[in-house]
Amino acid sequence: MKLGARVVRDRWISLGVFIAIAAIWQVLSVIYTVEAVPGEPMVAGWQVLFTKTFLSMADYWAGGLGVPSVAEGADRSYPAAALSLADHSLQTIIRLASGLVVGGGIGLALGLAVSWSRWTRRLVDLPVQFLRTLPLLAMVPLFQLWFGTNIAGEILFVAYGIGVIVFAGTVNAVRNVPSIYIDNARALGASRLTLYRTVILPAILPEMRSTVLLSLGTGWGAVLGAEYLGAQSGLGYVIVYAQQFAYLDRMFLIALLFIVYTSISYWGVSKLTARMLDWAPPSQRL
Amino acid sequence: MSTNVAPRMIELVHVERSFRRADGTDVKAVNDVSFVIPEGEFVCLVGPSGCGKSTLLQMLAGLLEPSDGDIVVGNKPVTGPGPDRGVVFQKDSVFPWMRVIDNVEYGLKCRGVPAAERREIAWTYLKHVGLSHVERAWPRELSGGMLKRVAIATVFANGGRVLMLDEPFGALDYVTRHQLQDVLLNLWNADGAGTRRTVIFVTHDVDEALSLADRIMVFRSGNKVDDIAVKVSRPRTTDSLLLPEMVEIKRKLLHHLGLDHAAGLDAVADEAVA
Amino acid sequence: MTTVTATVKAAPRRVRPLRLFAYGLAAALDPLRLAGLVVFALIWEGLSSVLSTIILPPPQNVVARLWTDFLDAPSLSYYGVANPNLYANLLYTAENVVIAVAIGAAIGIVAGLVSARFSLVRAIINPVMMTAGTVPILIAAPFLLIWFGVGRLSAVCLVIFYVTVILYLFAQRAASNVSPIYEEFARTLGASQRQIVVDLLIPATVPEILGGLRIALAGAWGLEAVSELLGSQEGMGKVLEVLAGATDSEGIMASLLLLGLVAIIVDAIAGWAVKRLASWNAGLSSERN
Repeated sequence: MKLGARVVRDRWISLGVFIAIAAIWQVLSVIYTVEAVPGEPMVAGWQVLFTKTFLSMADYWAGGLGVPSVAEGADRSYPAAALSLADHSLQTIIRLASGLVVGGGIGLALGLAVSWSRWTRRLVDLPVQFLRTLPLLAMVPLFQLWFGTNIAGEILFVAYGIGVIVFAGTVNAVRNVPSIYIDNARALGASRLTLYRTVILPAILPEMRSTVLLSLGTGWGAVLGAEYLGAQSGLGYVIVYAQQFAYLDRMFLIALLFIVYTSISYWGVSKLTARMLDWAPPSQRL
Repeated sequence: MSTNVAPRMIELVHVERSFRRADGTDVKAVNDVSFVIPEGEFVCLVGPSGCGKSTLLQMLAGLLEPSDGDIVVGNKPVTGPGPDRGVVFQKDSVFPWMRVIDNVEYGLKCRGVPAAERREIAWTYLKHVGLSHVERAWPRELSGGMLKRVAIATVFANGGRVLMLDEPFGALDYVTRHQLQDVLLNLWNADGAGTRRTVIFVTHDVDEALSLADRIMVFRSGNKVDDIAVKVSRPRTTDSLLLPEMVEIKRKLLHHLGLDHAAGLDAVADEAVA
Repeated sequence: MTTVTATVKAAPRRVRPLRLFAYGLAAALDPLRLAGLVVFALIWEGLSSVLSTIILPPPQNVVARLWTDFLDAPSLSYYGVANPNLYANLLYTAENVVIAVAIGAAIGIVAGLVSARFSLVRAIINPVMMTAGTVPILIAAPFLLIWFGVGRLSAVCLVIFYVTVILYLFAQRAASNVSPIYEEFARTLGASQRQIVVDLLIPATVPEILGGLRIALAGAWGLEAVSELLGSQEGMGKVLEVLAGATDSEGIMASLLLLGLVAIIVDAIAGWAVKRLASWNAGLSSERN
């Protein structure tokens, strides 16, 4: 069918667009040779990015695993660079993942608990709306003040950002469950608990999917914000650290890595949650 | 009506339309259909779901291109949609962001008719369909039947000589459907003999076709399988549907639809004869 | 807050301004909801009496601080903030948000609508926009600081990126959500391409696009603030940075409270605009399924 042909065509175009952007970047690196600081080009060509820039990642390796760090007097080496990237990626991902688990778990549990009765739902409505309007990223200094610039503080910050979204999303999803399902289950004799388990939980899944995706996005933003403003490790830290010396090529390399991570995580979660919704009619899959 | 006198309005010559399925096979939605409709005739296209009657209508409207064959309306080959052919769709097509009166005059506005003039025309037709009291309402405030009235007023106001209706009343309740059939027939009749518009009305409701049509074409799997003239005089009443010739046509139609053994039909026929 | 694709997906498909307004009004007058706020304040109060004031100042102190600092906050001048009050810094931040949202919205809406109508344009722009929508826009902040220096331009650019992407996706989705039946009907009535754009595409997409604008606005405050935190001489972000340096939690919370209040007010104004500009749509989906 025409539609299928168009999808295939669009895939090729997408690929072409990314290749074109990469090519333009390369051309730009040849034409535009201005340097941010001596020896650091504003636009670093790919051959620089994957050799010199990559190698310079060794600067951020703290040492260990038998690979000495630059600070210990060793030369920059590819193993150190690779380990450095892996380590900082891991730090970032741990913050995000822990934040997701803690914030998502607490948010979901509290959301379900509050949804138990209409009274509690109304009681928490305004405070939650209030917390949601506070600009999350601007709250980094507050969290640093409370918990310090350590990994626990950063995880708690991510967890808070995600928790508020998941909590509000859960309450909203339960409120939106069509009453006909609930009436039907009760007419069939379901108890309150059975109703929750067999009707409400599955019925909120389609809406929870978009909440999960939203909280994933918020989570990445929150990790980055926390790492920009005070963390001592992680990809965001490396970017800001490089920024202070105007190492644009290093920032660019990390940013690319970050884009790859976020894209993969988004794609993965999106696929995973889509599978949980096989039963739902397309109109309900947001 | 007087088929021999009126000039031909619509002509289809060997029209075909095929679609490609997701699995790559071709399906013929319309297969080698030819017919001529004279001006002023009220034609119903009847057939089961998926018989190609809606596809045919879309091609006539110019929204879909035939894979093969020619379609001529008013001596001009159809190359795209145009105001000479008004369409009332099955789904609600009334623009929700325009007030009722603005909807009715929209086609006229598109063609650059001056505001005062088009408002008057729109008003006339709105009154005709019995909606002058909701002139300034938003479409969301109207019921399904009222929305259909707006759509009918819009296409009539636009002045196309051919009107096409694609199962327009299918989703309405029994009473509303009958009211709207009357609205449609009244508007059609209001033009007066000789200047009536040509109407193509797609339906799957046999009784609807019988009470509206001068002529009924039956479609099945993309083919035109029958073409029946309905000569019973207008206005048609409940009793008209019980006339022996009507019952005979109904029997034929039900046969085409595979409903031969419809219980009670014979009894009804007997009653009518008696 | 910074990732856009998820935001777009999570947004309600149709904005129902009237219902939202009615809901908001009922919510504001509902004693139980108000009681919720009181309980919230009481818990805060209770916690602050247990913890030290440096960690968690009691709510009334925060409100009082906001009240005094709004027009005159001498403590800020010690740390080199040009205007030692919240009012001027809030104005600076708000200006940037408004400028960025106006520019970003214009670019995003036009690009989104064009891409919805021309599949080739969509095929070319979409991959970039989808990627930009998945990655937190915050990633661009350090680059902008190097390119444009510490100042208004980098912050505004960051917010422009964010708003552009979010409105591109909203406008595109809004346009593809318009039932094709309207365009078919218009074409059979004799409408030209231009008339279809002006009379159909634009009015039909207004509600959803305005909904997107509200979401973009909400996110823009946070992004602007964090951009100022990363490097700026003025603005609420700068204030937050200075107060954080002084471990002044009361000041930080007062500033955050101010940002939250302004966001609520701006959102309410935007909501009112949605209601006015899309009155045809009020309660559409609730009345007719």
